Amino acid sequence: MKSSIGAFAMVAALSSGILAGCGTSPSATGTPSSTSTSSKAAAYKVGLVTDTGGLNDHGFNHLAYMGLLQAKHQLGVSVSVVQSQTASDYVPYLTNYARQGYNLVIAVGFLMQQAVQQVSKEFPHTKFMIIDDQVTAPNVTSSLFDTQQCGYLVGELAGLVQKQHALPNINQYNTLGVVGGMAIPPVNTYIAGFYAGVHAVDPSAKIILKYTNDFNNPNNGQTFAQSEIAQHADIIFQVAGGSGLGVITAAQQAHLYAIGVDANQNYLAPNTVITSAEKGIQVATFDTIQAGYKGTLKAGTQTFSLSNNGVGMAPPISAIPQSIARQVAASEQQIIAGKIVPPTTIP
Amino acid sequence: MSFILNPELWTLTVAISVPLIYAALGGMFSERGGVINIAMEGMMLTGAFVAVVFAYATHNAWLGLAAGVASGAGMALLFSWAALTLTADQVVVGMSINLLALGLTGYLLDAFYGYNGTPISTPSLPTVHLPVLAGIPVLGPALAQENILTYLLLPTVLFAQFALFRTRWGLRLRAMGEKPEAGRSAGLGVRRYRLSGILLSGMLSGVAGAYLSIGVLNSFNVDMTAGRGYIALAAMIFGNWRPRGVVMAALIFGFLSAASIQLQGSVIPPDVVLMVPYLLTVVAVAGIVGRTTPPASDGVPYHEESI
Repeated sequence: MKSSIGAFAMVAALSSGILAGCGTSPSATGTPSSTSTSSKAAAYKVGLVTDTGGLNDHGFNHLAYMGLLQAKHQLGVSVSVVQSQTASDYVPYLTNYARQGYNLVIAVGFLMQQAVQQVSKEFPHTKFMIIDDQVTAPNVTSSLFDTQQCGYLVGELAGLVQKQHALPNINQYNTLGVVGGMAIPPVNTYIAGFYAGVHAVDPSAKIILKYTNDFNNPNNGQTFAQSEIAQHADIIFQVAGGSGLGVITAAQQAHLYAIGVDANQNYLAPNTVITSAEKGIQVATFDTIQAGYKGTLKAGTQTFSLSNNGVGMAPPISAIPQSIARQVAASEQQIIAGKIVPPTTIP
Repeated sequence: MSFILNPELWTLTVAISVPLIYAALGGMFSERGGVINIAMEGMMLTGAFVAVVFAYATHNAWLGLAAGVASGAGMALLFSWAALTLTADQVVVGMSINLLALGLTGYLLDAFYGYNGTPISTPSLPTVHLPVLAGIPVLGPALAQENILTYLLLPTVLFAQFALFRTRWGLRLRAMGEKPEAGRSAGLGVRRYRLSGILLSGMLSGVAGAYLSIGVLNSFNVDMTAGRGYIALAAMIFGNWRPRGVVMAALIFGFLSAASIQLQGSVIPPDVVLMVPYLLTVVAVAGIVGRTTPPASDGVPYHEESI
């Protein structure tokens, strides 16, 4: 009898360990910095819910968190963050912030669209922001990114490097690779732009596309990249969040090249990541918080593109010839001018 | 046919199978002693994380590996305290360990390194080149250049086979899994033998975790084991709790995963191929092809008789 009580206590203790593991991260950032802020600012509370990729993804969720921190330091608002472990966490986490009286609740990611739709209806007085998808409701701001534009630019760059053999170890097979996380619009718009960019400079170039079907499994990303490398891909564009970090490692180990996504990921492997397709999630998050704090936040959709610096291409590494960089920069101007319109669907 | 003869298919198969084999061999020791171990997932995850922490802190991947193995053993000790000393339900405790490992590693990752992820200067275990083997057709490339842990797999499998079937300890461990009362009446400590099985399982799961984090990569991500512990469990069952069977089962699962990666974009939907390991396990357990027989007392807590 004594032992069964002990066993129950053991299970209870272990389970509370999980709760502690999840619950501590919000409070770590939840306290407002009292020195530089007025009490009015601190009374404005912003909650951020990540998708399952987590804050350590070196990209998407991390950028939203940077925007949140920027708002905390510059505006003095109170911020809190919670990381979803599974898709079933989205609704409870969003609800939790809304119920606690948070003024603005930010949902990072396309995967949370339905959750935001549901929770925003239940809390009409709370403002919501969703990144990468649209929710039509009077209290929701949707942020969309024209990532086909930056996808086009990195595609053109990769296509030119491939065609001109502008870097060492580029083989004669004229093949590029793409590793996507999931076949969902925010991933596929990048890839659609990449295809268009590559084929604009070399219609005969071959592109291998594979999806890992997850965003937090770097070993999987590595295996997929190795599979593409075996099929002669020598520049691989990763659009797979945390799984994509393994793509960069695989390219590095094979002395080949990768293209980063969302953030400038060159620092992860300086000779491997030749450029990155950047997405201004940090800017979008900060701007939305600022508008919400000032009371000017409008419901509806805001689109971020090359013309408002909402998306962009990170500076290519210096080993890439200036002529290629200049040609890509010219295309950037043409996209802004509307002379080139990259597609949003993969051919 | 050219698909099967593609060397890269086999390179991927090996890369995917190695962590499964390590974990499944460990699970075999635990279950042969009569303790169901579904905590391999959590032990792997802990091993993967601790290996990165120590590899980075000491600038030595081998110390990272040692720490990863030790942390797997630590989780095994916690598991055996609940499952053996407190005679709790082994499946419930195993699940708790998995959830604990997920929460704890995710929390400590943020606590140690902030939200920037593990440092990029983390060293990884060496890759070994054996040009001699490269000449073998089809399989050559898969064997000639692999992580050191892949080569250490062979002695590990031989050790497992020898320890389980050729030593006194192995015989006694198996007795504890079949009929612990018999072992007890021969004057042996049931818990002691079961503990040794669980500890071996924890250590080998630690190796599997370290392979994922500092073997083929040099980083850790939240939940990076992504269910590999459960696939290892399936491989152990499909392999009928025998080292050779376990290796074959893990290789089959690895081959199917590799094939689904290679075939993506062609005729077969990859999701269907990924389902196959679980389907095969169900088929094996249901006894349709090659009936599996678990140890008779697998999962039954042993209560010391009062005198």
